Amino acid sequence: MLLFKDLMWFFKLEKKSYGMGILVLVFVALINLFPPYAVRVIVDGISKENLSQGILLKWSLLLLFAGFLVYGLRYVWRLMIFGASARLARLLRKQLFSHFTFLSPQFYQEHRTGDLMAHATNDIQAIEMTAGLGVLTFIDSLTTGGLVVFSMAFFISWKLTLITLLPMPLMAWSTSYYGTLLHKRFHKAQAAFSDLNDKVLENISGVRVIKTFGEEEAEKEAFRMLSADVVEKNIAVAKVDALFDPTIQLIIGISFFLAIVFGARDVVDGQLTFGQLTQFTIYLGQFIWPMLAFGWLFNILERGRASYDRVESLLKINYQIFEREGVTDQLHSGPLTYQRASFTYPGARLPVLEEIDIFVPQGQTLGVVGKTGSGKTTLFRLLIREFDLSKGDLRIGKSSIYDVTLKALRTAIGYVPQDHFLFSASIAENIAFGKPSAIQEEIQAVAEIAAIDKDILRFDEQYSTLVGDRGVTLSGGQKQRISIARALLLEPEILILDDSLSAVDAKTEKAILQGLKAKRSQKTTLISSHRLSAIEHADLIIVLQNGKIAERGSHPELMAFDGWYAATYRSQQLESLIEEGGS
Amino acid sequence: MVIRRLLRYLTPHYKALKVASVVLLLATFADVVGPILVKIFLDRHLVPRSFDRQALILLGGGYLGLHFLSVGLHYRQLVRFNQIALKVIQQLRVDVFSHVQHLRLEVFDKTPTGALVSRITNDTEAIKELFVGVLVALVQNFVFLIGIFIAMFSLDIRLAAFCLVLIPAILGLMYAYRRVSTQVYRTMRQELSRLNAKLNESIQGMSIVQAMRQEKRFREEFATINNAYYQAAITNIRLESLFVRPAVDLIYTFALILVLNFFGFQSLKGPIEIGVLYAFINYLDRFFEPVNTMMQRLSQFQQSFVAAERVFELLDDDRVTGEVNTAGPPAIQNGLIEFKNVSFSYDGSSDGPTDVLQNISFTAYPGQTVALVGHTGSGKSTVANLLMRFYPVTRGEILIDGVSLSEFSNDELRTNVGLVSQDPFLFVGDIAKNIALSRPTVNVQEISEAASFVQADEFIGKLPQGFKEPIGERGATLSSGQRQLICFARTIAGNPKILVLDEATASVDTETEEAIQTALAKMRKGRTTIAIAHRLSTIQDADLILVLYRGKIVERGTHSDLLLKEGLYFKMFMMQQGTISLNQNC
Repeated sequence: MLLFKDLMWFFKLEKKSYGMGILVLVFVALINLFPPYAVRVIVDGISKENLSQGILLKWSLLLLFAGFLVYGLRYVWRLMIFGASARLARLLRKQLFSHFTFLSPQFYQEHRTGDLMAHATNDIQAIEMTAGLGVLTFIDSLTTGGLVVFSMAFFISWKLTLITLLPMPLMAWSTSYYGTLLHKRFHKAQAAFSDLNDKVLENISGVRVIKTFGEEEAEKEAFRMLSADVVEKNIAVAKVDALFDPTIQLIIGISFFLAIVFGARDVVDGQLTFGQLTQFTIYLGQFIWPMLAFGWLFNILERGRASYDRVESLLKINYQIFEREGVTDQLHSGPLTYQRASFTYPGARLPVLEEIDIFVPQGQTLGVVGKTGSGKTTLFRLLIREFDLSKGDLRIGKSSIYDVTLKALRTAIGYVPQDHFLFSASIAENIAFGKPSAIQEEIQAVAEIAAIDKDILRFDEQYSTLVGDRGVTLSGGQKQRISIARALLLEPEILILDDSLSAVDAKTEKAILQGLKAKRSQKTTLISSHRLSAIEHADLIIVLQNGKIAERGSHPELMAFDGWYAATYRSQQLESLIEEGGS
Repeated sequence: MVIRRLLRYLTPHYKALKVASVVLLLATFADVVGPILVKIFLDRHLVPRSFDRQALILLGGGYLGLHFLSVGLHYRQLVRFNQIALKVIQQLRVDVFSHVQHLRLEVFDKTPTGALVSRITNDTEAIKELFVGVLVALVQNFVFLIGIFIAMFSLDIRLAAFCLVLIPAILGLMYAYRRVSTQVYRTMRQELSRLNAKLNESIQGMSIVQAMRQEKRFREEFATINNAYYQAAITNIRLESLFVRPAVDLIYTFALILVLNFFGFQSLKGPIEIGVLYAFINYLDRFFEPVNTMMQRLSQFQQSFVAAERVFELLDDDRVTGEVNTAGPPAIQNGLIEFKNVSFSYDGSSDGPTDVLQNISFTAYPGQTVALVGHTGSGKSTVANLLMRFYPVTRGEILIDGVSLSEFSNDELRTNVGLVSQDPFLFVGDIAKNIALSRPTVNVQEISEAASFVQADEFIGKLPQGFKEPIGERGATLSSGQRQLICFARTIAGNPKILVLDEATASVDTETEEAIQTALAKMRKGRTTIAIAHRLSTIQDADLILVLYRGKIVERGTHSDLLLKEGLYFKMFMMQQGTISLNQNC
């Protein structure tokens, strides 16, 4: 019931729908008292032999009218209440999605996509069920239940009512009890199923080993055992699940029996007519649903409660990157400076970057190299404020990046990340991602610089070709080049290529670098790479090692220094030679 | 077609099904007789006020007895039908899983792991819903409705005949609902999957969205899809309100009016049995709940159907590995391996640009080591894949002891050819189980011998539970070097005559590196070995080194021969020498 209180804000928001829906629901419960009454009148007419065609016609018409009225009204309340609950789901999904767009990368590091998806689908569904079916069962079991009992007691016989309703609470209790039992067993069945799933996953991923050692039969046997376990656990579920209907049947049967036995006595005593007895048993039938619903209600609420808590706690997470007070949205271009910049990932012990000092004059190119994990990507992520520095400062022109708005900062920077992610849309839309208003000429121009133009024209639908999950499969190199074009289109003051040339061949790499040079002569470019040929031309190259700058200088300087850079360069030269067949 | 195939799975459960059906019939009978007993009570005792004690006790006792019987039988049949359905699904699952075990590797290459897993587990689970939720419920409810009709006919043939009108009315409603709902339901599912796709994509690409400041656009786009889904949901609500419960209730009202009028007009002509009226009203009351259930289950039907189709599609995939059934298949005695003009392409085309191997020929004499070196993509691993018979040789020939590879039985090949692959794959279970696998020939003694042979006993001994130490998911608790050693032990425990080593590219920790190299050297001794090497230092003592470049053998000879040539091998060697000194510098 507490959940209803938590959802009160929504009920208030939708008070018209809920108010109307509940009103109609009560009205339907009232009208439903009528048909049993009509039956009573006719049965009494038959048994007292004073029925006339007129009476029969009149009550038939009334029944027909009531039937249609209820049909119409039921349509109304369903639309009101279930419609409102669908709106709640829509609202929560919208809130959750908005929230997602504000959360920083740290959040996405800590939460798996699958979990977030589950919150946005399953949990919201459970909440929707509470706001729809939950409200319905609550109101309906109260009104229908109450009205039926009231009518039985006051219009027919309160004594008979008391006697026949005696077993009823047992039904509510047992359905609720079975529900809990079922929940537990269902959990076990789910766990068994999940074991089965794990086994299959292991089997499919280890298919080579299985084939090598001829383990197929053993695997089949193991699978047979696990699937037998699933069956066993599910039969345990079925054994409880199958209790529901017979139990209800049992209790109702007893109630009916009591009604007939004691009702018959009242008929003999003349306290009750035949019609009343028939009416009474029909009412009794109508009472089943509210009792059932009541048992159900607890399960719906319990599930809704857990889901609501999960969604709420997700909405409360606050990993946003905040802007300082009094930030301006004017960012004047100029040199880029890392000033004694240090950074430790939240929750980590050791810093990833320590006291980094870099100065890149406007229009120059910085090359960043180093082994995996040396801090190259972090260096860039700090610049676009996916994370904030622990110590030191980062400046563009005369202002600290923390003194301008996120919007201004990110407008000035074009970032091509390592993992080239494309959206399910056409190639043109993907390139124009940051500037949906871009015209075809602009798109084509950047595609040319990124050396992807020719590849795109080779597709049947050229720039309209769909990519992503449902579209064509692109090679890693093609995806990288589209990502580069995507960033270039924004003509950013600072362009970051985070190892984004790793999957293109040497010739293409050269072409792209030349294109960049021509197009971005006045603008700053930052490039990190495993392959040194990609940064050879840079004005300044830094070698990162364990979060510190180990070597710095231009290519000739670093070669003369004869350290890690020079050794790696020579080895890569040889490697590319081998790649080309040694000649 | 799909349904018939699913039903065929019921054949082995014919007997259980018969029992369950008999129980269902009995339960339904006991259930349906109740109102008739009440009718007898009303018409023979209450109306004429003749309360014969014995008859009443008999009647009451009969009613209660039948009721309890019916409840008990109902429970039994529910459980029984569920059991049968669950066992059918288990059989289906085992069938799919078994079938998948015998599929050729190319199927695994081309199908995402998730899709295969989903066929075996989730899709069969959906079929379970079809069986338990739809088919069983339909049968039960159908039988119940028949029972009610029989009871009605036994009470009053004419009225019961009138009530037959209900059947076309309900069938018509069902038909109409299914027709309209299929489309609406499909739209709703489409919108839902669009919503999920958008959500999934947005979460995965959020960093790009934020870096390019497209949050607002994404919120708007999501709102549009969210709204479309809401609209579809509302349409569905409208449809269900129009066709399902309220409509069924309306039909109930019509039926009630029909029954009342029938009796009303009868009573105008002469006296009627009031008990019959009572029983009819009672039956009507109970007639419509099963109808509601059946209507609701119908919409589930579509979904399960699609799942069943997918499962059968996988079951029908005939790309299975063949088993040789010749009498007395050849045995591997010495381990002489010959490749004769082998060319291969993974897409199955003959002579084309997609060939990963071209005219590969070489001979490995018993006990010798032949090493394959070359850049990534040069075709080294394909040589191993073919020798392991993961893919069929279509052009050229591979011979072992002079016999074509395809003529050996799976068993013979697997006991005599051991593969150590790049990826040290461990199963869930303990270390002993991972070394022995299911081979009955490998006992405790041999497990520990194999472990000590590859020098894995040292670290295993240090584990709290030794050989009984459980291995977590994918062996996450062990270092990659330790996992590698366990895989070595696994191979050596089978004592194969031929060894295929696909050396790990990823560098393992220096601590185990040495152990691994020693183990490898020991393993190779006395066995014909095909070694795929990434580090040239490990195969300098090979009897023959083949240098592969784009699927062709470009150089061959011993280490010293090849160095003298100053070709590709020489350059690779120089480079690796360079990197080694480089690593030492750091």
